[in-house]
Formats: sequence, structure tokens, C-alpha cells
Amino acid sequence: MVARQWEKTMQYALLLYENEAVYAEDGATSLEAIIAAHGALAAELAEQGVLRGGQGLKSSDTATTLRKARGVDTLHDGPYAEAREQLGGFYVIEVPDLDAALAIARRIPFAGDGAVEVRPIIDED
Amino acid sequence: MSPLDQTARRDGGRIVAALAAAFRDLDLAEEAYAEACARAAAVWPAAPPLDPAAWLYATARRCALDMIRRRNIRRANAVEPPAPPPTAEDILTADDRLIPDERLRLIFVCCHPAVAPESRAALTLRLVCGLSVAEIARAFLVAEPAMFQRLTRAKKKIAQAGVSFEVPSPEAWPDRMAAVLSTLEVAYARAHEDAAGSGPHAGYAREMLDLTAVLTDLAPGDPEALAFAALVRFAEARRPARLDAGGAMVPLAEQDPKRWNRALIAEGDALLRRAARLNHPGPRQLRAALHAAWALRRSLAEPPPWATLLALYDLLLQEGDDPFVRLNRAVALAEVAGPEAALAEVEALDAERLDAFQPYHAVRADLLARLGRSGEALQAYDRAIEMAPGEAERLWLIRKRMMSP
Repeated sequence: MVARQWEKTMQYALLLYENEAVYAEDGATSLEAIIAAHGALAAELAEQGVLRGGQGLKSSDTATTLRKARGVDTLHDGPYAEAREQLGGFYVIEVPDLDAALAIARRIPFAGDGAVEVRPIIDED
Repeated sequence: MSPLDQTARRDGGRIVAALAAAFRDLDLAEEAYAEACARAAAVWPAAPPLDPAAWLYATARRCALDMIRRRNIRRANAVEPPAPPPTAEDILTADDRLIPDERLRLIFVCCHPAVAPESRAALTLRLVCGLSVAEIARAFLVAEPAMFQRLTRAKKKIAQAGVSFEVPSPEAWPDRMAAVLSTLEVAYARAHEDAAGSGPHAGYAREMLDLTAVLTDLAPGDPEALAFAALVRFAEARRPARLDAGGAMVPLAEQDPKRWNRALIAEGDALLRRAARLNHPGPRQLRAALHAAWALRRSLAEPPPWATLLALYDLLLQEGDDPFVRLNRAVALAEVAGPEAALAEVEALDAERLDAFQPYHAVRADLLARLGRSGEALQAYDRAIEMAPGEAERLWLIRKRMMSP
């Protein structure tokens, strides 16, 4: 079909939110095991040529937040939002469309409950 | 109706869908179509086209290509050298007379789970069925600017988030189909505006028959899609009997089955049987079965199938509690066990929550009247009449109110 000629790819950030407390629970999947699962997924995505970046983040109690309000900067010990689920890492992928991005989001490993926010990245052109 | 209105009503949805699928841009499709209609309004009175739909489609495509070209030029001035104008000429050389039917693809776009549920039906009505923003706002009981904003937001989300214009892959199918079916159900119900189906979108029913046919072609193994297609056929089959000579609604039990469209009923029966053969029951099959039970009635001399209906409503309630199902069940119960038992069920419902729900007052009024509680019945009729969604139902309720003891 003619339209396919200008089919392009899009980049998405997959922002991972999870309840960090789950790693402290007895019998829970260990952080190491989850990191290994992320490693395997990332390797597979890299092989398919869709992985553009990504990192895991240290726990939210290591965060420092700089807040700017009415021209005044204040520092705060802790994450931007005190929520049950915290940003724990992100992937950047390049795929044809949202469905492809969601299919990858579904495969992201979590030790317990979690959420993946799929955000398109601003095009350069 | 002018030739332009006629063409827009009949072919508008198909044209916009074809444009949206070709250019993968909802706004562009809408703007180009609007521009083509504006040109048609100026040109047609003096030079009527041989094939109005093909004229609109070809003109809208040319408008869209112009818009893309202008956009690319603007972009080129701003940043990089222009990407070669995408496929522009190729599209023009394609056959302009054939308008591909891309409505199904567009439905999947409008009903993508990434679009807020409350926007999906509105977007489908706007883009696939060509209703105006004002009409959709009325159907959903929201102010026009709010509806405009909701539609704009949904279109922006689709464009920016990279929602695919492809028909979904088999593994995504169950989720996506469920979203499409519930959206089409809402759209079908809303477009009627009233129980008599006499709203300005009776023509839109044709569209619904087409769309569900396409859907069942695409998913012959989905029993709920087959059942919904059956339901639309049963409901449309009754359209000729829904209004009396005075324009008032005729309730189902008083409709003359001889005026029902037997060809459509046969189609509905065949679809429902296909669904049943798949041996995977679901709520839409039960709903379609209710209509099928009514369709068995051949004349007003035969009694309506109240006991069967009551049993089906009981099954439907097991699928999930729904005040509308409970009210319909009460109507059947009144015929099987008497108005007293039915009223007891209605009074057990949450009156406060249902106060804003018109059918609650209509059903209650009828039951109270039959029990001779005339004062309360008149009050309930007044509420039901005041809230009646369409003229046909209003006329019918006024008549019932006058006849109540």
C-alpha cells in the first residue's frame, strides 16, 4: 500500500513504577533476580534493534529533589512525589507504534505490583 | 435534502475513514473533508457531479495533499531540508473513483484502549458516522464546548502517542474487540436518542448494519461480535413498527409483528445461531436472545414471550448487575407475576441513584397506574415526560398519562 512508504518509527520512554517495599518482604523475588530479568529483556530488545537506552535507578530514599517555586529553589530529601509506587527505572525504545510499545511494556518484569507509563518522546524533526 | 447533504449523510463516514487511513492523520482527514464539502457547496449548484461521493473523495484527497505540502514547506523553512513529500503524487494517481472501506480500521483507532473510554464512542460517532459535535454533545448530555474539547484531546492523543492505524494483531484481538463492541453499543444506543429510534440518525442505522457486517467478516470466530451484529439486525427489523401514525412510540409488546422486517430478522437469527455454535456464551448473546425471542412473535394475536424474557433477564443479571436490566426484568415480571410483584422489585432499587434515570420513572409510573395508585403514578409520569429523551417517547408517555386511572 502506498501509505506504507512514509511509515516511520517512534521513540517511547517506558517509565517503570513499583512498590520498593516488596523487595524487603520475606519470600519475595530478590532485587538481583529482577535486575537479571531486566538484563535479559534488554539484551533481547537490543538484538531486535529496538532498544535505544535505559537505566535502573537506586531506591527512592536516595533521591534529592530540587523544587523551583516562584524563583526560589528549595532542596528536599526524598523523591518528587511521596507515593506508594516510585519511579524505579526506564527504557527508551524505538518501535513502529504504540501497540508495539505496549507489547514490550507488558513484558517488563516486576517483583510485585507495578506500572509502566508509556510516553512518546518528542520527535527531532 | 440537498445532494451534498445526502452524499455527506450516506458516504461521509466512508470518505473520512478512507482519508484517515491513507494519511494516518485524523485532523487532516476531517479538515480536508470539510474543505471538500465547502467547495462542493460552491460548485455543485452550477455543475452537479456525476458521482457525488467520488467527487468529494477526490477533492478531499487533493485538499489533504495540499495541506501536507504546505506543512512540509513550513517545516522546511524552520529546520531541516524537507523529507520528500510523502507519497503525495502516488496517491493522486491511484483510482479516485474507488473509495476503500476503511471504516473498520478507523473504528479500531477510535476505540483504542489508550483513548479514554468516555471519548471512544464520541470519537466513533464523529469520525466514522459523521455526526456533528453538537449532535454528539446532545446525545451524551454534555455542553458542546466540553464535547469539542474531549474530541480534540482524543485526536491529539491518537496522533501524538503513535496509535497504530493497522487492524490489531491476533494476540491483541480479544482486548481490542471488547473495546470496539462496547463502544459500538454505546454509539448505537446514543445515536437513537430515544427508545423509539426516531432520532435524526435513523439513516445512521444503515451504517451500523454495514459496520457490524464488516466486523463479523473480520472476526467470524468471535461469538460476541456475531451476537452484536444479530442484535442490531433484530432492532433495525422493528424500525418500521416503532412509531404510530401520530409519531408516538409504540412499545415492543404493542408493535405489529407483521410490520417487522423478516429478512433482517432471518439475518439476525442466522448470526445468533453461528454465535451459539461457537459454544462460548456471553452477555451480548443473551441480549441478542432477548430480541430473538420477541422476533418469534408472528402477530399481535400471539402472546408475547414474557416468561422466556424473564428467564433471560435473570441470566443477564448473573453477568453483572445493571439497573436497566432490572427495570426491563420488572416489565416482564409484571406480566408473569403481576404488577404488585414487579413494583416491589422496582421499589427495592436505589431510588436516589436512579432518580436521574428516565426509564426508572417510566416503568414505575406504569406499574403504579396499573395498581390504581393514581396520585403517585401521575407524579412519576410527569418526571418521565419531563426527562423523555425524544419526541416519540414523550408523546407516548403523555398519552399513557392521560389514560391512567
